[in-house]
Amino acid sequence: MSPMETAGVEPADFLAERDFGGRDREALLSELSRVLPRGALLVSPEDARPYECDGLTAYRQLPLAVALPDSEDQVRAILRICASLDVPVVARGAGTSLSGGAMPHKDGVVLSLARLRSILALDPLARTARVQPGVRNLAISEAAAAHGLYYAPDPSSQIACTIGGNVAENSGGVHCLKYGLTVHNVLRVRAITIEGEALEIGSEAPDAPGYDLAALINGSEGMLAVITEITVRLTPKPLTAKVVLAAFDDVVHAGDAVAAVIAAGIIPAGMEMMDQPATRAVEPFVHAGYPLDAKALLLAESDGTPEEVEEEIGRIREVMAANGATGIRVSRDEAERLRFWSGRKAAFPAVGRISPDYYCMDGTIPRKRLAEMLTAIATLEGKYGLRCCNVFHAGDGNLHPLILYDANAAGELERAEEFGGEILELSVEYGGTITGEHGVGIEKIGQMCSQFSRQELAMFHRVKAAFDPRGLLNPGKAIPTLNRCVEFGRLHVHKGGVPHPELPRF
Amino acid sequence: MQTNLADFIRDTPEGREADGILRKCVHCGFCTATCPTYQLLGDELDGPRGRIYLIKEMLEGVAVSGRTRLHLDRCLTCRSCETTCPSGVQYARLVDIGRAVVDRLRPRPAADRLRRALLKESLPRPALFGAALALGQAFRPILPGALAAQVPRTSGRGTWPQPRHARRMIVPAGCVQPALAPDINAAAARVLDRLGISLIEVPRAGCCGALRFHLGDQEGGRRDARTMIDAWWPYLSQGVEAIVMTASGCGAFVREYDHLLERDSRYAEKAKRIASLVRDVSEVVAAGEARLAECAQRSKPAPLRLAFHSPCSLQHGQKLRGVVEPLLVATGCELTPVADAHLCCGSAGTYSILQPEIAGRLREAKLAALGAGAPEAIATANIGCLAHLQAGTATRVRHWIEVIDERLD
Amino acid sequence: MIERFRETIRAAASQKRALRIRGGGTKDFYGGPLRGEILDTRDHAGVVSYEPTELVVTARCGTRLDELERMLAERGQRLAFEPPHFGETATLGGCVAAGLSGPRRMAAGALRDFVLGAKIIDGRGDSLSFGGQVMKNVAGYDVARLMAGSLGTLGVIVEVSLKVLPMPASEATLRFEMTQEDAIGTMNRWAGRPLPISATCWHAGQLMVRLSGAAAGVAAAQRDLGGETVEEGARFWCELREQRHRFFEGPAPLWRLALPPATAPVPLAGEPLIEWGGGERWLRSEAPAEVLREAARAAGGHACLFRAPFETAEPFQPLAQALARIHRSLKAAFDPNGVFNRGRMYPEW
Ligand SMILES: Cc1cc2nc3c(=O)[nH]c(=O)nc-3n(C[C@H](O)[C@H](O)[C@H](O)COP(=O)(O)OP(=O)(O)OC[C@H]3O[C@@H](n4cnc5c(N)ncnc54)[C@H](O)[C@@H]3O)c2cc1C
Ligand code: SF4
Ligand code: SF4
Repeated sequence: MSPMETAGVEPADFLAERDFGGRDREALLSELSRVLPRGALLVSPEDARPYECDGLTAYRQLPLAVALPDSEDQVRAILRICASLDVPVVARGAGTSLSGGAMPHKDGVVLSLARLRSILALDPLARTARVQPGVRNLAISEAAAAHGLYYAPDPSSQIACTIGGNVAENSGGVHCLKYGLTVHNVLRVRAITIEGEALEIGSEAPDAPGYDLAALINGSEGMLAVITEITVRLTPKPLTAKVVLAAFDDVVHAGDAVAAVIAAGIIPAGMEMMDQPATRAVEPFVHAGYPLDAKALLLAESDGTPEEVEEEIGRIREVMAANGATGIRVSRDEAERLRFWSGRKAAFPAVGRISPDYYCMDGTIPRKRLAEMLTAIATLEGKYGLRCCNVFHAGDGNLHPLILYDANAAGELERAEEFGGEILELSVEYGGTITGEHGVGIEKIGQMCSQFSRQELAMFHRVKAAFDPRGLLNPGKAIPTLNRCVEFGRLHVHKGGVPHPELPRF
Repeated sequence: MQTNLADFIRDTPEGREADGILRKCVHCGFCTATCPTYQLLGDELDGPRGRIYLIKEMLEGVAVSGRTRLHLDRCLTCRSCETTCPSGVQYARLVDIGRAVVDRLRPRPAADRLRRALLKESLPRPALFGAALALGQAFRPILPGALAAQVPRTSGRGTWPQPRHARRMIVPAGCVQPALAPDINAAAARVLDRLGISLIEVPRAGCCGALRFHLGDQEGGRRDARTMIDAWWPYLSQGVEAIVMTASGCGAFVREYDHLLERDSRYAEKAKRIASLVRDVSEVVAAGEARLAECAQRSKPAPLRLAFHSPCSLQHGQKLRGVVEPLLVATGCELTPVADAHLCCGSAGTYSILQPEIAGRLREAKLAALGAGAPEAIATANIGCLAHLQAGTATRVRHWIEVIDERLD
Repeated sequence: MIERFRETIRAAASQKRALRIRGGGTKDFYGGPLRGEILDTRDHAGVVSYEPTELVVTARCGTRLDELERMLAERGQRLAFEPPHFGETATLGGCVAAGLSGPRRMAAGALRDFVLGAKIIDGRGDSLSFGGQVMKNVAGYDVARLMAGSLGTLGVIVEVSLKVLPMPASEATLRFEMTQEDAIGTMNRWAGRPLPISATCWHAGQLMVRLSGAAAGVAAAQRDLGGETVEEGARFWCELREQRHRFFEGPAPLWRLALPPATAPVPLAGEPLIEWGGGERWLRSEAPAEVLREAARAAGGHACLFRAPFETAEPFQPLAQALARIHRSLKAAFDPNGVFNRGRMYPEW
C-alpha cells in the first residue's frame, strides 16, 4: 500500500463512535475459554463488576467479560479472537488510572495484564531491566536496589500501578522534574497489535531506526497496541539526598517560591506542594511531622554528592526564606526524607479521611502562573460550594486540585465536574494543558475539544488508525469523535467560521 | 465511594458501620500491592479493593452466589491492606460484616458447614486433638505425632520466677501454645522478671474467641470473649498493670474486644477496660530496652544470625512494626534481610486447613524470603506462624522471646 | 510565511509533486537521496518566546541554531542534548527533523527528550499544533516528539518548543589509556555509579571523559576517577560533536552503529570511535552493508550509513515487516500524497 492509495480515507471512528452491539457473545466466550486457563475468564456480572471502574469511580461500565491471561501467547490469542469477532478490548494494569482509561467497554473484553508480572532480566552493567507489563513500578526499584540502581519515574501510586499502565499513561512522578517522565526512561517496548502482530518499539541501544514510535506508545492509553514487555533504564542512586520542607502562610507565596527556585538556576530533584487541607488529611496516616498551621508546604529535594547537596540545600533555603517561608526544615536522615515524601505520595487517598469522594484534576500550566491559578481555584470553591485540596508537582507546573464531594449527595458530582472543567479550561487559557500525566481517558474527553482543532483531532484518529484501523482498542477514550465535540459544544471555532456545518446538530 | 445500601441492611448497626467504611474507600488500589492473595492470584476479586467492591455490591442488594463467598474465604484477614491504606479503611471489620451477610444470604453447602463446625469445636480444645492448634491462629492438618516432631520442644517449661516485683502483669495460658511450645510464657516471665516486672499466669479459660469468630460463628466468638473477660476481671482489682499476650494472633483479637462487644450492654464497659490493658510482650520489653541491653552486655551472648518474621497479627493487626527487631539487635542478634516482610506466611488461623493450596504457596514464598540471608534460626511472635513455618523448613523456628531469654543467661 | 508554505504544499499535493524541505542544508548528506523542489524554511525565523524561569524556548524553524544557542548562553542556559550543527547555517527545524544529539546525550538525554511541542504543516497543507510549552502534557498522542528524527517526511516543522537547562557550573575532561574492551567495561561501570559524567569518547587506545556539574561534584569525581586532566577539553568535545576530529577525515564510508552500551567490542573491519558510554559506535569501514547491519542487529542495535562519498547502500537499517507497515500508514496519515522528502528515510516512500 503506498501513501497515495490511502489518500483521503478517513478513520472509521473519526465522526462518530462505532457501535459494537450485536456481536456473537457465545462464540466469543467459547473461543476465549479455549485459550485461557481455568478461572481466567470472568463473565458473570458478580465477577465482572469489580472491574467496572479504575481509580476514577465516578465512571463505571460493566464489560462483557474479563480475561486474565498469564502469558504473552494468551494475550495474542485473545486479541486475535477479538479482532476476528470485531469485539473491543480494553487493556488494564492495576486499575489506578484517574481518568477512567481502564474503564471497560460495554460490548468489550477487559484484558487484564496483572498476571504478567515477572521481571525477566535485570542487567546491572547495562543498567536495564526487562519486565512484563504487570510488574509494579516500585517492584522494579526494589529489585534494582541491590545494585545501587532504581527506576526513576515514581508516580505517587508507584506501590500499586503497573509499568504497562505507566507506559500507557506516560506517567510522571515527584522526581520527574530532574529525571524525566516514563517516556524518558523506557528504552524498548514490545506491544501486540489488535491483529496479534508483535511490534518491537525502540531498542536497548540509544535509538532505533525509523520514526520514534516510542513517542506514540508512551501515553497511548491502550489505544494503539497492548504492551507485553518493557525494557526500562535504571538510574544510579544518588550518594545523598535531602529534602527541604518549607512552610508558608499563604499559598500564593509558596507558588512564587517555586518559580523563584527555578529562576535561581536550581533544578531540584523534586519540588512538590501541598496546601493546608491536604496536609491535615495525610498527617494522621504518615506522622511526617508536617506543620499543620501552615497554609501551604513546599517540599524540595536536592541529590548528588554530599558537597553538592549541602550547597544546593543552602541555596534552596535562601530562596524559600526570601519568598516568605515561615518555617524551614531539612530532613535529618533517610528515614525522615522518606517520611516527608510518603505524606505527599499518600495525599490523594488520604483525602478519603476527610471526604467520601474526590475528583482529581491534572492540568499543567506555566510555573509562573501557579499563584494566579491558586487564587482562581479559591474563587471557584465559593462559586460551586465545594472544597478543594491542592496537591501538586509544583516544579513541573502540574496541578492536582482535588475537588471534594459526596457522591451520595444529589448533584455534587455534577458540580464537581463543572468545577473541574473550569480549572481545565483555565489551564488551557494560561498556556498549559488539560492533562499533565493522568491521561485523557473518558474523563477529559470533552475538554480535548477545547484544546485541539478539528484537524488536530483528525490527525490523532489517523495515528490511531495506523495501528488499529478498526478502532477496537479502548474505543471511546482519549480522542473525541467530531460528534462528541459537537455535543460537547465547545469545538474550537477557527477564524470565526462556523464549525462543521456538515454535521447534524443535536 | 458512592454507596446505596439495600433496605435489608441499611439501618442496622452493621449496615451503618459498613457504609461508613465503604465511604472511606476511594478505590485507589494501593492496598492491592501488599495483599498476599492479589500478588499471588492477580485477580481484582482476590484483592482488598475487589473484595470491598464485592461486599458493596452485596450490601447494595445485588444477588450473590458462592463466588462472592469464595473470594471472601480466600482472604487471609492478614490486614496488610489496612496498613497500606492511606484513607484509613477498616477492611477487617468490613470483611467480618461481609462474611456474616454472605453466610446468611447464601448458606454454605452442608459438607463445608460440617468441616467448619468440626474445626471450631475441636480446635479450641487441644485435649481432643493433642497438640495441634495455636490459639485461633494455626493448625497443621497432619498427625499430632508428626507435628510434635517438627515443632521443637524446649526442655520443658523451664522455671517460672517467683513474683518478687511490685509491678505485676498477667499472661493468659493459651489453649494450644502450652502444648506446642510450653516455654514461651515462662520465657516471657523470665525476661520481664529481669526488667523488674512479675508476670502471673492466668489458668487456661478457653479460647479468646478468635477461632470461632473467624470460622463464621461470630456469636460463639463473643461468648468465648465474655468467658475470658470473666476469667481476667478479678485480677484487675489486684493492681495488675497489663494483660500481656505472647501470641500476637490472640493479642490482635483481644485488643478489639471493645469493638466486638460494643453492643453488649453488660460487657461493653468491661471489654473496653480489658482491651485498653492488653499489651503485646514486645511493647513491655521495649519499654525496658535499656535494661535489656545492659543484661545482654553482661551475659555476652554468642553471635546469632536470625531472620525475623513479623506475624500479620503483630504488624498489621496490632500495628506494632519495628518493635521486636531492635530488641533482638540489642541482645546481639544479627538480623538477616527479609524481602516482602509485610506478606503473610499463609498460616492465618484455620486458613492453612481451609485453603491449603494458597497457604502452601505463601509459606514457600515466605520461607524463601526468610532463608535468603542464610540465617541460623527464624524467630517470630505467634505460635500459629511458628508451627506453620516449622512444618516447611529444617531451620529452627522459635518465638523471639525465647531467643532473648536464652541470650540473657 | 506559513500561508506561503501551505499554498506550496497544497499545490504540490494536488499535483502529487515532491517537495524537499530544507533549512541551512547542513544535513543534506544525511539520509536518502534529495528529491523534489526545495521548500526553503530559512525565512521563517526568530524566537517566539523565551522565559528562562520556565525552562522553555519556542522558536521558528528557520532560526539559526548558533544564534539560538548564543541567546540561551546569555542567560546561562543551553540545549542539553548538545546538537551537532555540521555548519554555521544549521537551523532549528533541520536540527529537530534530523533528530541528532551530541556527546552529552548519554547523560542528558536525546533531542527527542527535550521536545515539548511543535507546530507543523502536514501534507494536506493543514496547520497543526501538538504538545505545548509546559513540561508535562499527555493530551493526545505525542506527535510533537514523533517529529524528532522524522527527517521531514511527515510535515514541515514550523515552530518548536524545547526544554532548556542551566549550563553546568563547572566542567573538566580527563584522559585515560585503555583498550577498547576495557573502555567499554569502564564506561558502563562508571555509568552505573552516581558520577557527573556527561560525555565519553574512546578512540585509538584513549578514553576521554567529561565531567559536568557543580564545582564540588566535579572535583570529587576527578579525584575519584584519576586520569590525566586535559586542558582544552571544551574544544575536543566541540570538534567531536561537529565531526571535525581527525577520525572523521578521509573518504572511507562512515557508519554509525547504535548498540546496547555494554556490548563487547564488535569485530568488524574498520576503525572505530566510541561515544555515549558505548552506545554509539562510529566505524570507518568498507565492509558490506549487510555484514554491518547483521552484526548490529545481532547485538540488539542498528547500523546507519551516516556519510559516504557516493551512495553504496541505503542509509538506514530496514524495518521489520510489522513496523514497516505502521510506518507506511503513519506516512500516509500525515502526507497522503507523498509530498515531503520522498525517499529520504526509506526508498519506498
Ligand atoms: C492515589 C493515586 C496517585 C496517583 N499518582 C500519580 C502520579 O503521581 N503520577 C501519575 O502519572 N499518575 C498517577 N496516578 C495515576 C495512575 O496511577 C497512573 O496513570 C498509572 O500509570 C496507571 O497504571 P495502572 O497499571 O493502574 O493502569 P490502569 O489504570 O490499569 O490503566 C491505565 C491505562 O493504561 C492502559 N493500559 C494498562 N496496561 C496496559 C498495557 N499493558 N498495554 C496497553 N495499555 C495498557 C489502560 O487501557 C488504560 O487506558 C495516581 C493514581 C492514584 C490512584
Ligand atoms: S486482609 Fe490480607 S488477604 Fe485479606 S484483602 Fe487484606 S491484604 Fe488481602
Ligand atoms: S488503599 Fe484504602 S482507599 Fe485505596 S482502594 Fe484500598 S481500601 Fe480503598
